[in-house]
Amino acid sequence: MKCKRCQVPAVVALPSHHTAFCKDCFLIFARRLVERAIKEHSMFTLDDRILIAISGGKDSLALSWQLKELGYNIEGLHIDLGIPESSPIARAYTERFCAKTGIPLHVIETASLGLAMCDVKRRVKRPICSVCGQTKRYLFNKHAQENGFTVLATGHNLDDETSRLFANVMRWDVEFLSDQGPVMPAEKGFAKKVKPLFRLTEFETANLCFLAGIDYGYAPCPYSSKASFPIYKKLLADLEDIQPGRKIRFYDGFIKDGRPGFAPRGETTVDIEPCTTCGYPTSAGECGVCRLKNVMRDA
Amino acid sequence: MITVRLEPENRDLTIDRAATVTQLLHKLGRKPGRALVIRDGGLLTPDLNLKYGDHIIVRDVGSKG
Repeated sequence: MKCKRCQVPAVVALPSHHTAFCKDCFLIFARRLVERAIKEHSMFTLDDRILIAISGGKDSLALSWQLKELGYNIEGLHIDLGIPESSPIARAYTERFCAKTGIPLHVIETASLGLAMCDVKRRVKRPICSVCGQTKRYLFNKHAQENGFTVLATGHNLDDETSRLFANVMRWDVEFLSDQGPVMPAEKGFAKKVKPLFRLTEFETANLCFLAGIDYGYAPCPYSSKASFPIYKKLLADLEDIQPGRKIRFYDGFIKDGRPGFAPRGETTVDIEPCTTCGYPTSAGECGVCRLKNVMRDA
Repeated sequence: MITVRLEPENRDLTIDRAATVTQLLHKLGRKPGRALVIRDGGLLTPDLNLKYGDHIIVRDVGSKG
């Protein structure tokens, strides 16, 4: 198999794109997919201060590396979730990567807020993935808002986005379908959120890490075994094997033609106000994280 | 015989015979596009031939949370 661009032996085969690339040409291909996503959706410019949510996994590290290569003004934020089996490993990968690449890194330990996830899991009845996700979104958004960042970037890839879209379709979750996409604008106290890797599959981000020499963490969260997205990921991966290119067409088609059909009609009835305790935007008086802190304090 | 290390679980096993990367992945219950296949520090495409005595790393790319 030869590289489609320069005809030397290929190292990555990409059936979805009907192509194969050598190392140098794959890195150009990946960079162009990221540049296209940024430009097509007006994600940010060289003037923006970008905060990247870095977990220590392949996607957030690939995103950080690529944006650094492109010359953007980036800093990283890692949330240490306080899960003994996985958090120290994820944090170590993140710190090593940022030290090596010179990316400024901020770390927040949820244990310092009384929210170590191993304790939260024992005391809260809600699914832990939901509570953990809510806490991470809160901390990322609050850090971005309070420290002058204009954009919050995450490493969600095409597989993350299509599996989430598939799950939302299977539930006909109109609220989520109305605003799912690679960009969420800044509004009502929430930072602008972007997903510059949405055109790359997780296979492509893994290849990007390997070829760029990025050492990423493998330690899966021990609490994620009941998450439903991996089921949808596998179904879509099986479909992609039969119909290469199906995932990106599903997602692009939704953004262009499907999502407008789910847009809210008329004025929204949900009032967003600052949390009575911390000032974070919420529709519930006191925000979910402050209520969680209360539960943990009272336990 | 081909020696295989499966990642991220870091499990080692041996495969009697696999002529190509595609055949190896098939014997391991994996598909191209869902795992990196690595030999001597370099990536292999599915069409490439394997040989007796190869040491191969098969690294699954799917995130598990």
